[in-house]
Amino acid sequence: MPLALPLSGLRPGLSAALGAPAVAMVATFLAFGAAVRDAGLGLPWALGASLLIYGMPGQLVLLQFAAAGGGGGGATPAVLGAVAANARFLPMAVALTPWLGGGRGRLLALPFIAITPWAAAMQALPGLAPTARLPWFLGFALVSWSLAGLATAAGHALMPLLDPALLAALLFANPLYFALLLAAGMGVPASRQAVLAGALAAPVGLLLPPAWALLGAGVLGGTVAFLAGRGRA
Amino acid sequence: MPEADGAATAPLLLTAAAMLALRGAGMLLAGTLRPDHPFIRWAAAVSQAVLAAFVTLAVIAPAGAVAAVPLPARLAGLAAGLGVHAATGGRMLPSLGAGLAVLLGVRALL
Repeated sequence: MPLALPLSGLRPGLSAALGAPAVAMVATFLAFGAAVRDAGLGLPWALGASLLIYGMPGQLVLLQFAAAGGGGGGATPAVLGAVAANARFLPMAVALTPWLGGGRGRLLALPFIAITPWAAAMQALPGLAPTARLPWFLGFALVSWSLAGLATAAGHALMPLLDPALLAALLFANPLYFALLLAAGMGVPASRQAVLAGALAAPVGLLLPPAWALLGAGVLGGTVAFLAGRGRA
Repeated sequence: MPEADGAATAPLLLTAAAMLALRGAGMLLAGTLRPDHPFIRWAAAVSQAVLAAFVTLAVIAPAGAVAAVPLPARLAGLAAGLGVHAATGGRMLPSLGAGLAVLLGVRALL
């Protein structure tokens, strides 16, 4: 596939990103920007975390470390914790990549693989023509990524004005949005099994160190769902 | 740049590099496999389960500012969002708005 992508090809994904996904992204990153300022850190650090890490659980782990003044044990635990919290990027990239085509152009998607674009893409891409899939993803991802940066900056600037109740509601927008996305995919048996197994395995995550909770529960639930599906196939 | 940023910059850059490596490793692993390959299907199941676990933990045992919202308010917000989603044939924006409005409303009542 050629690396040149016509702008018109980006438009459908770009439009799809401007509805509920935009609300969820803006709310979450607005709250993150405010939390960074509350921790005494500057706008460059907030933007670096949002745009370069671009995965909220890992960002929050790193913020906890930074807010504690760098901690006493060096940066290694913070980096490992953030990587573990965002380790879902690995299976997400594995699952998404076959839908992005086989050329080098799909490398353009690399920095943008995160929960929101991934979840939306896994629903939309199978229904699109193969040549439309990568442009759709890039259009969606560019909007989401740009909004993440803008919302982070806005949250950092507006932090002194935000009410704690509003901040909590903003932070809750993200899991609520993901719950709605998962509900939309419940008609597919494989998805339904994975979602139910993941939800049931979630309490197991509480027994693990916080940074490993999500990945541990997800690997357990996802593997059980996968094996159950194979057993019935 | 605030002084705290200096100590936190190296971990930020290291984590950013690790995130790219994770995404790149996933792409490399998937590079030669078809979407219906068992490994891809397993990875998709794990990713969805991670997302479901994320939502579940964010509702039943959240961290940060959300933890200050009582559990009944979080459950009511989730139920309202899902209810509107089902009632409107899957419209996301009204569902999201209803869920957040109910969360704030119930929180104010408790």
